[in-house]
Amino acid sequence: MKHPGFPLPDTSWEPTRGFWEGAAASELRIPRCDACGSLNWYPPPACRHCGGEALTWRAVSGRGQLFSWSHVTRALFKEYASKAPYIPGIVVLDEDPRVRLVTLLVDCNPEGLVVDEPVECVFRPLSFSEIEGEVIAPMFRPIQGG
Amino acid sequence: MAAMNLPDWGKAEAFDNVSGQVAIVGIGEADHSKASGRTTHDIAEQAIARAIADAGLKPGDVDGIMFGPGVGDQFDEKLYRERFGVEHELWVSHQGGGVVWAATAPYHAARAIREGKATTIVNVFSVAWATQRGSMTGGPGQFHAQEQFKANLEVPFGWFPQPVYFSTIARRHMGQYGTTPEQLGAIAVSARRHANRHPGAVMREKPLPLEEYLAKPMLADPLRVEDCCLISDGGAAYVMTSIERARDLPHTPAVVAGVGGGRTDSPYWSQQGDFTATPQVFSAPGAFAMAGVTPADVDILTLYDPFTIVTLMQIEDMGFCAKGEGGAFCEDQGLDFDGGALPTNTHGGMLSHAYVLGISHVVEVVHQLRGTAPNQVTDAEIGIYGGYSGHRASTLVLRRDR
Repeated sequence: MKHPGFPLPDTSWEPTRGFWEGAAASELRIPRCDACGSLNWYPPPACRHCGGEALTWRAVSGRGQLFSWSHVTRALFKEYASKAPYIPGIVVLDEDPRVRLVTLLVDCNPEGLVVDEPVECVFRPLSFSEIEGEVIAPMFRPIQGG
Repeated sequence: MAAMNLPDWGKAEAFDNVSGQVAIVGIGEADHSKASGRTTHDIAEQAIARAIADAGLKPGDVDGIMFGPGVGDQFDEKLYRERFGVEHELWVSHQGGGVVWAATAPYHAARAIREGKATTIVNVFSVAWATQRGSMTGGPGQFHAQEQFKANLEVPFGWFPQPVYFSTIARRHMGQYGTTPEQLGAIAVSARRHANRHPGAVMREKPLPLEEYLAKPMLADPLRVEDCCLISDGGAAYVMTSIERARDLPHTPAVVAGVGGGRTDSPYWSQQGDFTATPQVFSAPGAFAMAGVTPADVDILTLYDPFTIVTLMQIEDMGFCAKGEGGAFCEDQGLDFDGGALPTNTHGGMLSHAYVLGISHVVEVVHQLRGTAPNQVTDAEIGIYGGYSGHRASTLVLRRDR
């Protein structure tokens, strides 16, 4: 598929293709080293921990902790105007907190968010009014009572 | 240099010892402004002319030029010959300009002078982003949008551009260390107070008391517009020569005592090993060691300050206080020129003086060491500029000549 354009991802770009394919199948997938089993993020050409060159996209639980976030009430670039207010943030995975995913926080009140609180992945369509195309993207929400 | 215990998420750059070999002898700032219609070349020419005159030299005396061709449309050796009416060849280095290079240019200049490639070298940087802002040609966000990992893993989630990166860093710093909005505000307020007293500052006429800062709306919570640097037209230049020659020139030389550099392993803010630190962790120790000084010896500090949180983190990472205590260090006018524990960005920095990407920070340190700064720190002898570009940092230690 032809890349629909900024700010949608180019889901065919090889280094991150497995991530977006996983999201389309409602799975959060991260490259895992065949040799040492370490998760690696962002996807590297070889394992950062042992140098192994074989990495395979593997599904992870989608559970993690809210590392940090920003609350944007007026979009900081025009393509995001219809999404404001929005909460871009970073989540670390339960499987390996060295894996930090940039994401959007959903289903929450930004005033109630707490650093390091438990969160879980949900898959939501992502599209922009002026841009053709849509992807399914992994977003995160607080785990109620977690 | 002795091996130092550094964290595992980056590296220090290996620099030869150049301490005491060269000095900054001339400084010149162009007029800093909001959108002005000027070109970067016109701005640079004005800054260079002023720096050369300040050094008591003539354009024909300069035989080396440093600039950074990667940022905008920079003044180069060809323009130097055209605009200043000279015909001689110049030693040329692309290891100059602003940002991190404003600190490390003196290192490369010292080597060139030692090796006889040049005797008198000007480093220049200029920017016209306020004028260019409408078209965003080469503006500050564009570079990031075009990087593929950012475009495919960050931008789709609205994690873009810089105010979002740094508000996320600030939020984490608050969660980890208890840093408060009032402490970030103290940095903005101090920078503004300095700018209000500085004739060359873009924000000279606009005071910013802390109450007013706290009442401002959020841009990207927890950062307000007042936590972010300006967008300006402006630039500056400085002239370097050997210490021996420097002592025959009109001003007290600002001796290059130490230079350091460092970088993170990841070029992505989101993936940096220590999310709430800067590569000053890797850069500053080498510069201090080369200069033979400690943080306690520093009289005046200037820091590349795209956002208040970057000032705060660099203060911690250079060792002026323990990690996590930067907020407490900055509050209660801790950075003010007149009585602060560490007078910092005494010209107003990029937050309030001008967004000229650090080159004016070096000019300010030289003014302080000469005793000619508008917000003069009493008897300043050791001054530092800390450069920062995300995954790189640099440190320049200057010392007032005896």
